Amino acid sequence: MEATTFDRAPMIAITAMRVLVGWHFLYEGLTKLTAPSWTAAGYLKQAKGPLAEQFRSLAARPDLLTNADLITMWGLTILGACLILGLFTRLASLAGIGFILLFYLAAPPFIGYFYAIPSEGSYLIVNKNLVELSALVVILLTGSGRFAGLDRILHGLIGRRARLAAA
Amino acid sequence: MRADTSDLDGGIGIAGSHELCDLRRFSHEAMNTVFEVYAVHADEQYAAQAAQAAFALVDRLEGELSRFRPNSDITRVNHLTAGEYVRVSEAAIECLLIARHLYDLTGGAFDVAIGSGLPALEIDADAFVIRATAGGVRVDLGGIGKGYAVDLMAELLEEWDLDRAFVHGGFSSAIALDAPAGSDGWPLTLSDPCEPSRILTRLSLCQSALSASGVRKGDHILDPRTRAPVRGRLAVWAALPRPASAGAAAPADGGPRLAPAAVADALTTAFMVLSVDEIAALCERSPGLEAWVLPDDASPRAGGLLHFNGRATSGDE
Amino acid sequence: MADENDKGKGKIGRRDLLMGLSTVPALGLFGYAWGQQQQYRRGREEAAARTPAADPGLQEINIALLGAGAQGQVLMEAMLRIPGLRFRAVCDIWAEYNQRRVVNTLKRFKQEPNGYEDYREMLDKEKELDAVIVATPDFWHAQHAVAALKAGKHVYCEKEMSNTLEGARSMVLAQRETGKLLQIGHQRRSNPRYIHCYQKLLGEAKLLGRIVTVNGQWNRAVAPDLGAPDRYAIPADKLKQYGFKDMHQFRNWRWYKGLGGGPIVDLGSHQIDIYNWFLGANPSGVMASGGLLYHDPKTHEWYDTVMVIYDYDTPLGPAKAYYQTQTTNGSQGYYESFMGDQGTLLISESEINYAGQLYRDPNAPAWDEWVQKGYVSAPKEQEAKEKTASGAVADVRESVAPDQHTVPVSLRDPYHQPHLQNFFDAIRGKAALNCPAEIGYESAISVLKVNEAIEAKSRLSFKPEDFKV
Repeated sequence: MEATTFDRAPMIAITAMRVLVGWHFLYEGLTKLTAPSWTAAGYLKQAKGPLAEQFRSLAARPDLLTNADLITMWGLTILGACLILGLFTRLASLAGIGFILLFYLAAPPFIGYFYAIPSEGSYLIVNKNLVELSALVVILLTGSGRFAGLDRILHGLIGRRARLAAA
Repeated sequence: MRADTSDLDGGIGIAGSHELCDLRRFSHEAMNTVFEVYAVHADEQYAAQAAQAAFALVDRLEGELSRFRPNSDITRVNHLTAGEYVRVSEAAIECLLIARHLYDLTGGAFDVAIGSGLPALEIDADAFVIRATAGGVRVDLGGIGKGYAVDLMAELLEEWDLDRAFVHGGFSSAIALDAPAGSDGWPLTLSDPCEPSRILTRLSLCQSALSASGVRKGDHILDPRTRAPVRGRLAVWAALPRPASAGAAAPADGGPRLAPAAVADALTTAFMVLSVDEIAALCERSPGLEAWVLPDDASPRAGGLLHFNGRATSGDE
Repeated sequence: MADENDKGKGKIGRRDLLMGLSTVPALGLFGYAWGQQQQYRRGREEAAARTPAADPGLQEINIALLGAGAQGQVLMEAMLRIPGLRFRAVCDIWAEYNQRRVVNTLKRFKQEPNGYEDYREMLDKEKELDAVIVATPDFWHAQHAVAALKAGKHVYCEKEMSNTLEGARSMVLAQRETGKLLQIGHQRRSNPRYIHCYQKLLGEAKLLGRIVTVNGQWNRAVAPDLGAPDRYAIPADKLKQYGFKDMHQFRNWRWYKGLGGGPIVDLGSHQIDIYNWFLGANPSGVMASGGLLYHDPKTHEWYDTVMVIYDYDTPLGPAKAYYQTQTTNGSQGYYESFMGDQGTLLISESEINYAGQLYRDPNAPAWDEWVQKGYVSAPKEQEAKEKTASGAVADVRESVAPDQHTVPVSLRDPYHQPHLQNFFDAIRGKAALNCPAEIGYESAISVLKVNEAIEAKSRLSFKPEDFKV
């Protein structure tokens, strides 16, 4: 079951990791929000891999594209803030995993793929998206928000109300 | 002068010109195509000097507008990073203003800036300054520059009193000034780009700009709005009347130049990607604008030339 | 476990509160970093957005354009891109056409120049002028430049400095007497590619070794004579007053003796100036052949075809330089080629053709150092080896081709802009002129002598004092 007693050292490390991942999400989201004309269209048009067709058809539909852009910008921003604060940590990690999975699938570093948008490193199958994804899996499974984060307070409040109701 | 087979390249031809008395023809290579002046004038040398002055003007414009010139205005614009600005020539400002107008008019179907798109450029026409709000702008005036050059050549020829003249760049952007004596217009043809000997329709134009855009079989062009290849048509043409005030030189009061060939040039580029209904609607809204569309073999209306002239749509074989 | 769980739930202790809020400061830190970053970005954008006229530190220079023809308009276009200039006047005798056109263009650029026909009237009335840009026909240069200098103006004068030696000399003397600046329009002297070649490649790296031969040309295709719109013809008496026989001569003065100097002066002067500059010497002798081989002698007095050989005594030893210009075939346009014992430099002002190519002689020391320093580009891959039928790799050519490099410097601005900028920088005391009167004079002497040599049909020699005023 869920651990409410924690091994301190690993939990501190995992919490630090959560804050870092959250920081990255938040900055990615805010940058897109404040850029005057950011759109995922260019990224989507270059999509490769198993879902390439779907991504490209998304880029070709202006109405859907606008929604996708909004979801990406706000999603990343809110997720980032939640991860830093340790608020709704599990939900945020799960959503983050979903986002990163999509990013990964839109441009997977599979053998033989070449992208016009330059990337800053060298990747084969595993790239930084996948590493960040695995970090989110750890955060999801350990529930680090209940160790250090607003979830701990929230958890206490909800639990208290539940107990009062039962009494 | 060649015989009646009409000379073709961009889909516009001139027919029967050999019958005209005192017709002079001058050619000049520029902007990766051939510009020509046809003029009816008694003094061959005078006409040649006027044509020479017009060609010098085209060369100057190419130096300012070509993205292939490392020190052109357009190259300088293309090297802007976000927030940077550059001061450019009158010609560059006017072309970008027309391009911006046509971008709005066609809902982005005509976009001279691949990459970030034209809205990433702020055009300050008062200060002749272009500012980029995003990096990576790639302006290519290929869809408007030839038309603009033809507009300015026509103004110059009028200044030289060569009023009975026909000017074209690569037979894809043209202006007919006054008609040769004894006729009501310059005898022009629109032809199938895949089969130049197949004349689709004949026109008689004066004080008009005419532009053509088309694809060879197997080629395709991309819709700037979706980046998907466009299918459904082989060629389009657009004609616009020249405003009466487009005479000698630009207005000194600083008003915008009326450049019908540049506009027609941009419109045909947009017409290649707009739907037939959108073209019809645009013609409806724009008095004087005429358009012709040649659908491709796969289209249900294959072979027939569609004609739009602001009032009704008709099959016009 | 379950017990502990129950016990823990619902009690928010101090410890829970502290642990719960422990990562909130991270968000604060993020907010701070974000704010700093936005501030930095805004600062950069504001700096980039500042318009040129808004620079308060720039002293505005009042200028007049004297001569509004084709070349005057080229200079105007370049000057419109230079911040801190105010056009006060435009002077041209073709009032109804070129003068009006240039004044109207300048007005659209928010300048308010007055139009003049007579340069004396302009110098009289425009008291605020700092500088005059002279782009009139060659035979007017001396008179216009001297008058402007004596009126206390700095002068930028198009090349050729003058069509006569006396004219050129009077300009140098007027400059010395008045102490005003006189820049001659050999604009390659300010071109970043030429400066890079002169200072870095020839001066510092000495890539060509000793230059022994030079070759250059400017070829132009046949073109009809220039004309003018009938309705804007200048009245005959006004043309006479300004030294022109008729409208045809007014438009084609370059071809007439006493007015211009023919193609060798119009075209050759730019490049022969570079010969002198790069070789570090003025010529010691000249042989030339030329003639009017193609054009109509009734309307063309000067030679349409000229071939010249100069002798030089350079600081490194003797050298010979060939130059040709003809106006019947534009093949290969214009370029200069400097050939030394260690390499060759092929260069032109154009950004499209011959924009700076270097060939290293196979026996010369390697250029790796200069490639690393960014002085020259990395060599193009040479197909040095070819597979023989047996599959063995062998060099099958007679001699090894030299490595080809390029000069990694280009000009993004209009061709005349850097030279004009240099002139205005010099007025503001921020630079020295790249082509002052003395250098323009040396070039004029070198070039004007060609027409003399053609007439004399023999080798003419220069004395060092010929180049001194």
